[in-house]
Amino acid sequence: MSNESSQPRLLEALTAGIWRENPTFRLLIGMCPPLAVTTAVKPALTMGLSVIFVLVCSNLVISLMRNLLKPHLRIMMFTLTIATFVTICDLYLRAFVPDMSKILGAYVPLIVVNCIIIFRAEACASKCGPLVSVLDAIGTGTGFTIALCILAGIREILATGNLVGYRVLPHAFVPWLSMQMPVGAFVTLGLLLGLASVLTGKNKGVA
Amino acid sequence: MSKIKLFLNESWLLVVSSFFFGLLLAVTNAAWSPKIEQNKQAEINHLMTYLLPEAKSFEQAAEAEIDLGKGKKTKSRIYKALSADGECIGWEFNAEGAGFADKIEMIIAVDKNFEKIAGIHFASLNETPGFGDRAKQPYFRNQFAQAPAGELKLTKTGDPGKIDSEIVAITGATVTSTAVVNSANNYVKPVKEYMLNKGLIQNVK
Repeated sequence: MSNESSQPRLLEALTAGIWRENPTFRLLIGMCPPLAVTTAVKPALTMGLSVIFVLVCSNLVISLMRNLLKPHLRIMMFTLTIATFVTICDLYLRAFVPDMSKILGAYVPLIVVNCIIIFRAEACASKCGPLVSVLDAIGTGTGFTIALCILAGIREILATGNLVGYRVLPHAFVPWLSMQMPVGAFVTLGLLLGLASVLTGKNKGVA
Repeated sequence: MSKIKLFLNESWLLVVSSFFFGLLLAVTNAAWSPKIEQNKQAEINHLMTYLLPEAKSFEQAAEAEIDLGKGKKTKSRIYKALSADGECIGWEFNAEGAGFADKIEMIIAVDKNFEKIAGIHFASLNETPGFGDRAKQPYFRNQFAQAPAGELKLTKTGDPGKIDSEIVAITGATVTSTAVVNSANNYVKPVKEYMLNKGLIQNVK
């Protein structure tokens, strides 16, 4: 517990998820939302914020009860906690942001089975104190949100010529409709993953 | 006895937290469900006002049971559209059918004698972007406006601007076009019969 409050460790917990362990670009987990809800920036941002909310709440709760967890019942506890916060999030969106709730549809309830959240619960929250867990959740969630927004930004510009609903490309631009379809998500994601791996020099030494 | 003790010892956290999480959800739901219900109604009202702009208020008049054949039954809510001075200016009811990717939900508006369709609009349409999605666009939707409230027919070629019972399909979206026309057909006739039986409308020759 003594080293838990040391500055470097806290900073590390916060920043790891943003790039070095970015769930979408580096770890390739929780790939359903990056493919499904990135047709425009607004739904992607809503999705990202929902995931941050669920991640922070579930990490905090699990971290607080980490010493009470029984090894063979822990996954059940994780799922129960996550499902509770996802349902709250879904109700919130339906009550206060009905437009986004309609676009995201089934993908909000599907956060329950999003690998990122259960992964952070297992790898971090069930082992670390509340402060580290919350910072870790914010970091990972932010990394995920940034990844979603980059993907969504590229797809929205190419598919409609707009960004966050505002026209950015000249009107002569012919919308590239396939970017709005699943194929657009796969192509964009593939190119971005390639870029990420070039930037990190991951394939150095591979002929 | 010792087994029960063991079970309780292992699972007490699960039981206790299920209780608390359940409580939390119940409270949240109770707090926000009126707002969610209100949003739904506001959306339906928005669509209904769009279709019949002169209407000032809507009241739910009846709920018709629709036999879709093959033993499938569904219900359609019928709303009466009232003008500012309380006169009936038309009727609207909801319809649904299976589209290419998802369920298509729509609102159909008819005039006060149920002779002509005043228009249709979609409450939920999640079809392929660029193809089935174009059903939302005026050139497809407007074909329903002023069409006779009877059997509609889908054609591949024709003049979409002409007002008749023929609906020109969307190129590349046969399934969606068929689904929209079929669900309109599935609902318009039974709803009309239901309303005649109930005396809500008179058969004017």
